[in-house]
Amino acid sequence: MDAFFNINFLTELLLSTIRMATPILFVALAETYSERAGLVNIGLDGIMSFGALIGFLIGYKTGSPTVGILAGALSGIAINMVYAFCTIHLCAPQIVYGMAINIFAPALASFIYRLSFSDTSTLIQGVSMKALPIPVLSSIPVLGPLFFNHIPLVYFAYLLVPATAVFFNRTKAGLNFKAVGEFPKAAETLGINVIFQKYLACIICGALAGVGGAYLTICYTSTYSEGIVAGRGFIALSAVIFGRWMPSGVLLACLLFGFCDALQIRLQLLSPSTPYQLLQMIPYLCTLFVLAFFGIRKSGPKANGQPYYREER
Amino acid sequence: MKQKENLMKVIVPVLSILVAFIIGGIIIICLGKNPFQAYGFLFSGAFGSSRKIAQTLVIACPLIFTGLTAAFSYKCGVFNLGGEGQFVMGAVASIFFVTKSGIGGIAGILLSLLVGAAAGAVWGAIPGILKITRGLNEMIVSIMLNYVATLFMGYVYTTLLRDGSVPQTFAIPDSTKLSVISKSFPVHWGVWIALFLAFAGYYFLYYTSKGFKLRAVGLNSTAAFFNGFPVNRYVLFSFIASGAVAGLGGSVELHGKQLRLMGGFGQGFGFDGVAIALIAQLNPIGTAAVAFIFAVLRKGASTLQTGMQIPTAVVDIIQALVIIFAVAGTALLKLPAIRQYINSHMGKKEVTN
Amino acid sequence: MKELLRMEQITKQFGNVYANRNINLSVKEGEVHTLLGENGAGKSTLMNILIGLYQPTAGTIYLHGEKVKIDSPKAAVKMGVGMVHQHFMLVEAMTVLENIILGSRKDSSVFIKKDQVRKEILALSEKYGLDVELDKQITEISVGAQQRVEILKALYRGAELLILDEPTAALTDIEAEGLFAIIRKLTGEQKSVIFISHKMREVLSISDRITILRAGETVTTLNKEDTDGTQLANLMIGREMVPSNYKKVTATGDEVLSFQNISYQKQHKHSGLNEVSLTVRKGEILGIAGVDGNGQSQLAQLAAGIIAPEEGTVLLKTSRVSRFAPNGFILSHVSHVPEDRNKMGLIGNMTVRENLILKATEEARFSYGHGALLKNKAITKFALEMQSKNDIRCASIEQEVRNLSGGNQQKVILAREMENDPELLIAVHPTRGLDIGAARYVHDTMVAARDQGCAILLISADFDEILNLSDRILVMFEGQVMGTYSGINPPIEQISLAMAGKGN
Repeated sequence: MDAFFNINFLTELLLSTIRMATPILFVALAETYSERAGLVNIGLDGIMSFGALIGFLIGYKTGSPTVGILAGALSGIAINMVYAFCTIHLCAPQIVYGMAINIFAPALASFIYRLSFSDTSTLIQGVSMKALPIPVLSSIPVLGPLFFNHIPLVYFAYLLVPATAVFFNRTKAGLNFKAVGEFPKAAETLGINVIFQKYLACIICGALAGVGGAYLTICYTSTYSEGIVAGRGFIALSAVIFGRWMPSGVLLACLLFGFCDALQIRLQLLSPSTPYQLLQMIPYLCTLFVLAFFGIRKSGPKANGQPYYREER
Repeated sequence: MKQKENLMKVIVPVLSILVAFIIGGIIIICLGKNPFQAYGFLFSGAFGSSRKIAQTLVIACPLIFTGLTAAFSYKCGVFNLGGEGQFVMGAVASIFFVTKSGIGGIAGILLSLLVGAAAGAVWGAIPGILKITRGLNEMIVSIMLNYVATLFMGYVYTTLLRDGSVPQTFAIPDSTKLSVISKSFPVHWGVWIALFLAFAGYYFLYYTSKGFKLRAVGLNSTAAFFNGFPVNRYVLFSFIASGAVAGLGGSVELHGKQLRLMGGFGQGFGFDGVAIALIAQLNPIGTAAVAFIFAVLRKGASTLQTGMQIPTAVVDIIQALVIIFAVAGTALLKLPAIRQYINSHMGKKEVTN
Repeated sequence: MKELLRMEQITKQFGNVYANRNINLSVKEGEVHTLLGENGAGKSTLMNILIGLYQPTAGTIYLHGEKVKIDSPKAAVKMGVGMVHQHFMLVEAMTVLENIILGSRKDSSVFIKKDQVRKEILALSEKYGLDVELDKQITEISVGAQQRVEILKALYRGAELLILDEPTAALTDIEAEGLFAIIRKLTGEQKSVIFISHKMREVLSISDRITILRAGETVTTLNKEDTDGTQLANLMIGREMVPSNYKKVTATGDEVLSFQNISYQKQHKHSGLNEVSLTVRKGEILGIAGVDGNGQSQLAQLAAGIIAPEEGTVLLKTSRVSRFAPNGFILSHVSHVPEDRNKMGLIGNMTVRENLILKATEEARFSYGHGALLKNKAITKFALEMQSKNDIRCASIEQEVRNLSGGNQQKVILAREMENDPELLIAVHPTRGLDIGAARYVHDTMVAARDQGCAILLISADFDEILNLSDRILVMFEGQVMGTYSGINPPIEQISLAMAGKGN
């Protein structure tokens, strides 16, 4: 176990934590926006897998990772509009629709993949995003490589956290947005367009979850395979609960889950004799334990998950 | 009133299946194939001979189990998404039992099925207990447990019970195979167990006091509590019962069809079960029917692939569209405006005062 | 005085039902204009049209003499129409200040300018005597303060016309006086108020003019000077109102329920109980008077076994209760008409028939083998009997109960609860939101039950209901018992003071 305390090992582990937490962070923030507007979206896994495929595909076709990421965002929005329409306009149960997305989106993704690459037996290598070291800062020992030598998307994810906090706590738009998730009827009487805010939430949620998915295929593996999302959407969902619907809390939760993921990969390399399946359980078990011991009974936006029946006019 | 609503409950899924088929047809046209020919292949693949019908039924079997799992828990207002994990754990427990205990024959089968059901029940109880005692969201917990179960099964077939160089377990002894009814109609007994469970579930939910209370808890747990029902007990019961159904399903699948565990065992059955239950609007008998339709699609999909080079994923899309339309259709019916329209155009008015 | 608002021939149709039909209403500047009517008379619909939530099917609205179209709440705010809803539209997770500025478009800045809005709000609050603490969470302030926040919210948006929907329902008399002072200040500034209430005393004290609505139509508009309470009441219900005078009794029977020094979360003044002792005897109605949110809900839930006390003893028919679970209480013949019909009393998505037998599915008359097989025919027969016996109006007993009107829902609950041969009936706000006919039915049923020896614990925020029915009256304030009074010639002054936490 000497290696465990090796400084290189630790740096590697932390670096890997930051990278592994990034996709979860994107998706957890996506869910934070959605739930703040009262929409519980458990279809994150589905949106992610669709974003992963489209991001991969467009990146592969255009050769540009940036375009791929953007396409991932757009595809996430597109898929989430199905959810948005059904839950906001038809007032369909949100859980059921989230589930429908989880079933529909991966099916669509694998269909498109098989259409695009008729030979599915070989793994197709897509594009991958290059790191963008921040001048000066990246040359600081230890901290430099840890925090300032990442691909642009990682910086973006972590900058989203304070941006989201400012949006919710300091801006009028954020106040209105939150009111919709807390008490939509009150918001409506104050002239806030509840339907619009909810759609806005779905657009932001779809885009961020789509990016989270595209991150997996463009920044993480640069290949696409079915099941690549591996429940990260649900882990992100628990990160939102664990993070108490606050951006800073969500960040901490994501880092914790990212750490578990990084740890299990490192441990696999370190101890090849341990069955890898047991190590791979770590992130899932960790999620369970964290929820069981720190999860809270009831909190979060008051009107979360409830349909808003806009009265007949 | 009631008749009309029941009628709509049947019309919506049927219509959504039709619309999904039409859109599937359009996709097939876009692929440059003839949709009528394609659907011909699909149905002949599923119904072409008594042997094929039997195979379709065998494919439907696990879907009926996981569909009932979902239907049964949602009726009590809890979202057990862990059908897959419970299914897998049932199979894992059964294979341990049959390979380690050495009990064969009918006794072996029965005990193994029981062990599988018990393992599913235990795996299903975990999210239930965590929900009741810690207030945890059962969806997240059950999904996490799915991954744990699948990984554990991987550990079993790659390490613990590995059969030689291939990553799979030993096959179960011949004497513990579920027998088929006849050679010309090779449907194993598990299918009848599944159908029996569907009818038993229906009876329980709609003709017994306990089922009545379980539905009441699912619809309004506060009022159920105020009216003296032990809400937590029903919630836990529905987790355990639905887990047991899934575990039994896994065990049946092992003894009736797969005969050994390997990668991909049970994959996707949990979510398919959820979709099936939702389309069937949580009616157990409807669940069996929808599971059969899904099996038809699946069985036909391979014929479609070999006969016309249409990717099987087209069938996945049709399946996914069915759920989207079915759920949207049900939601649509609940909208106040639509309700009013149906009521004013289809029968007597509701008295409002 | 100039006319501020005129609503002409307003009609609103929902499907085939007319909620409003050719209603006329005119409000002058600086006037308090009362809208009087029973539940379902069309007051809410009319006001929802005025604040832009509904669009009228026909009719015109004039503001300052100009024809306007109020097509959204946003438009209403812009035109200076503000409303304080009966159930406050306040976001509990936010502070008072945040609630006041929520959704306002006073300036185009992206960020919240806390200091500037604080100044503006304080100026307003001083001008009209609307005392609030801006940085407190909504959950931390009293109901009266929440109401002041609501009024400030409207004024901050520049309201010229303020609609107050049943504003005194949750206030003590003293708080109500404070509200009236505020209303007078507002009208002094030439702002107009539409006041919705059915408390005659208040209506006559604060209004300038009164418009009476009945069954969705305007009956008439009267000047306050030209009318009195009896005339208003008769106009409101459309016939001569016979005041119901129930016979009061002094019960000497056995104690059915007894609380001895019961405490439950006593640190919470509005949702706890502090050393409460009381008894209810066979054949009497004990009325619990008090403003909403002084521990009455908890009292009721304790008496029904929903929650368990932290300290003290509960005696049910003289035996000490050790296990608090609703089922045990039901088996001891305790019936409960809970405060929230839809949330606690009924399974909304189940049918009338199913709701009627909710508690009795295991009885031999409804099932074989303790619930192993339900006797559907017997159940239907029973449900039909109940329907006709209790005059439950529904299209069919197979109708989902949530689609029934409030009165019929309450009848379903009452029918079910009276079937349990209650020895103790707990009725919480049993007539809230009911029209006069249904309310009368509920009261008659309760008194009849009392006369047959049932002990009744009546909890209501409607003081008139308490006075009308109770054989003894107990007053609750901040989780404590302020005193017990006889229901025969009750000392009304003293009880009012006790409800405000004064006296004894």
